[in-house]
Amino acid sequence: MATAARRGGRPKIKPPKKHGPDFNVDTTWKALSKNVKEIFNHNAASLSFEENYRYAYNMVLYKEGEKLYKGISKLVSDNLDHLAEEQITPRFITTTNSHPGQQSQEGELLLKGLRDVWDDHVSNMTKLGQLLKYMDRIYTDPAGVPKTWDKGLELFLKHIIRSPIKDNLVAAILHQIQYERDGFVVNRSAIKGCVDVFLWLETDQVTVYKKELEPLFLSESERFYKDESQKLLDSCGAPEYLQRVEARFDAEDSRIHHYLSPQTLAAITRIIGETLLTPNLTTVISKDSGLDVMINLNALDDLSRLYRLSIRVPTGVPTLKRALHDSAIKRGKELNDISLGSGTADVEGEGAKEDEASNKAKGKGKARLPNTALPAVTWVQGVLDLKDRFDRIWTEAFKSDRDIEVSLDEAFESFINQHEKAPEYISLFIDDHLKNGLKGKTDDEVDAILAKAITVFRYITDKDVFERYYKNHLAKRLLHGKSLSDDAERGMLTKLKVESGYQFTSKLEGMFNDIRLSKDTMEAYREYIREHTAPRIDLNVTVMTSTFWPISAPAVACAVPEILEEVCESFESFYFSRHSGRRLTWTMSLGNADLKIGFKAKRHDVNVSTYALIILLLFEDLGDGENDFLTYEEIKTATNIEDRESKRNLQSLACAKYKILKKHPPGRDINDNDSFSFNHEFTAPVQKFKISTVSSKPENAQERTETKDKIEEERRYQIDACVVRIMKDRKTMTHLLLVNEVVSQLSSRFNPDPMTIKRRIENLIEKEYLERCPDRKSYNYVA
Amino acid sequence: MSDIEMQPESENPANEWVRIDSNDGFSYLVKRNVAETSGTMRNMLDPNSGYAEAQTRTCLIDERGIVTEKLIEYMCFKAHYQTVGPKEDIPSQEMQERIPPEIVLEVLLAADYQEM
Repeated sequence: MATAARRGGRPKIKPPKKHGPDFNVDTTWKALSKNVKEIFNHNAASLSFEENYRYAYNMVLYKEGEKLYKGISKLVSDNLDHLAEEQITPRFITTTNSHPGQQSQEGELLLKGLRDVWDDHVSNMTKLGQLLKYMDRIYTDPAGVPKTWDKGLELFLKHIIRSPIKDNLVAAILHQIQYERDGFVVNRSAIKGCVDVFLWLETDQVTVYKKELEPLFLSESERFYKDESQKLLDSCGAPEYLQRVEARFDAEDSRIHHYLSPQTLAAITRIIGETLLTPNLTTVISKDSGLDVMINLNALDDLSRLYRLSIRVPTGVPTLKRALHDSAIKRGKELNDISLGSGTADVEGEGAKEDEASNKAKGKGKARLPNTALPAVTWVQGVLDLKDRFDRIWTEAFKSDRDIEVSLDEAFESFINQHEKAPEYISLFIDDHLKNGLKGKTDDEVDAILAKAITVFRYITDKDVFERYYKNHLAKRLLHGKSLSDDAERGMLTKLKVESGYQFTSKLEGMFNDIRLSKDTMEAYREYIREHTAPRIDLNVTVMTSTFWPISAPAVACAVPEILEEVCESFESFYFSRHSGRRLTWTMSLGNADLKIGFKAKRHDVNVSTYALIILLLFEDLGDGENDFLTYEEIKTATNIEDRESKRNLQSLACAKYKILKKHPPGRDINDNDSFSFNHEFTAPVQKFKISTVSSKPENAQERTETKDKIEEERRYQIDACVVRIMKDRKTMTHLLLVNEVVSQLSSRFNPDPMTIKRRIENLIEKEYLERCPDRKSYNYVA
Repeated sequence: MSDIEMQPESENPANEWVRIDSNDGFSYLVKRNVAETSGTMRNMLDPNSGYAEAQTRTCLIDERGIVTEKLIEYMCFKAHYQTVGPKEDIPSQEMQERIPPEIVLEVLLAADYQEM
């Protein structure tokens, strides 16, 4: 064909033959409108698409688009009115006083009716849209009218979503929701059917849902939950209240997802939060069955529910934090009160027991020792248990929330530091465990206990006080060989180092080093005395670097008996031959001695402190007559031992379990006018025994003030050093900045008081390290 | 595997055969996907609306056979090429040349009616 066309030269284009010249608007429209009505009656199957499409095509083609458009609109409107009358209006809920269940059923029917009308309409409009496609393509845009489908929506809005149908629908939906909130089952899909229609339809870009339903739903919900709030508060305990509230949240969430729109979720959640949580949370937490009880019962479910609800409202977590903080502090205070109250009571009780024990001469020497640390151990253990409890709640119920952790930490820090003996007690706790508590425990368990002690240590602000006590306790452990495990000691030291830095532990490490070096020194000394004249008695010396150890030599050296003098000199000559320029000070108060004593019945091997040995040597030369006694005064002048120490040693020799000396008159305490004689009649069931010096209890008030003074003094030096260090670096600084800098640099050890710092600065000005600048606010460093 | 092969072709609606009649007695059998390249015919055959044409799967093109044939030729051409990649050549020139000038206006009107 193509070739033929080309052969014939210029191809001719023939006009198409006219379509049905017998076009008549009225007959066409009549036929079409009849068929459209058939479509509304669900009889599309009997109609020819082609025929009706051509009707519409022809009408548009012959400029009758307007007639077609208006005609169709009229048909659709009439149909909608008809449907409304048939399926919606009769189903309005008219019986207001009937049973709510019945109302609910009626509402369901109404909603279903609307959905049916909608489905019908949609189906009709789809079919019409197909038939009128040509009109949509050619006519609507130039005429400035909406296309068939959009016109359909417009007409639906106008004829169905109007008063009173609209109001009835919204009321029915709200009624269904209320009915479900009251705990009954409703047909959710019926509601969803209607709500979906509301979501599809929009006027001015706002969906009917948003405009008509949501505001009413929200205000209705708010009213409902306000009532609910008061009702629940009056009738439920805290756990139940929280359960109910959470259930409400879940129910609304499920409602939103099943038959409302997610866009409403935030608003309804906010309403529940604002009505049920924000105003009531504090009340609920402080109810009789509130937070405290939950913590007591370790009710993790309730607590985690509380947390989940708290994070829903802005004030929730702060409220919870405050309550937890208070609860932790309250518990901590209880521990403190028990510890401080019974601390003294315990000591007294113990004292009474000791009385009994010593009166009956039934020694409890070994049992008494751990008891001295008892209040400390009880307290620290209590704190640790409390910490464990809160930690567990924190991880399991509060999802390890950082904010809550911070406030719990604050609480612990505050009550621990309120306990004025806290640093001492923690050190005693560690001491106790390193001395007694590690038997039969694996390394891991030991590590866990020490790690726990560190957690309490972390809360302490006065770390220097702790250091001081720890040093004392460590010194005693090292010197008396009380420490059970060297590994555990070192483990603890490492932990402290990690926690507070090298500076903090350097002295403690120095003490360890001294002990190690002393062992080597003693080996060398034994070599040495093999070549030289050996003294009459064995000697074991621990050489301590005086700056490391918290021990000061007594102001007045005691009178050393000749026999000891000899051995001391022997060691000194050895030591000075190895290290020149060093000075050795003998600290007799820390030593002990093994000796054999011949009593009338038997010879016994006795271990006593060096001071006791010196005292006993005084009695060596005395006979066993009745008059061979020494008065306290004589002993004191002969030995030149400090008053307190000599009393302590005499007490353990004459009044404790093993009474090697007789005291005249007998009694428990040593008085200045007592006198003593050697107890030749002494007998003991065992061959070997140890007379331990009456052990020192946790510090008494006087010692405490002494320690405090020492710490104050140390702090003054530290502040001085710190100020000078800073000023040397900065040369000039304002007062405020300087104080802040000092506080921040020292805070790892203790919390310096700005007043103290000010006084130290004044002191340094007097000493001409610093000078005031002319502006009266800053200082210059004077080199 | 064999089960799938055993399925009758008509189960896949795109593979159904549809009959197209001209107004002077010609009939053409085309696959549904070919017929649906025409917007009008797609609506006509929409099973959801269920007009008579959809029920019988028979459509009338109210044109002479020669015009109808050209329309169907183009529909096949469109069905074949509408899925090819952008790089492949579409011989549209050739398709244009296959339409005899004598009927070109008639075909144009019919194509507008059919929304091709």
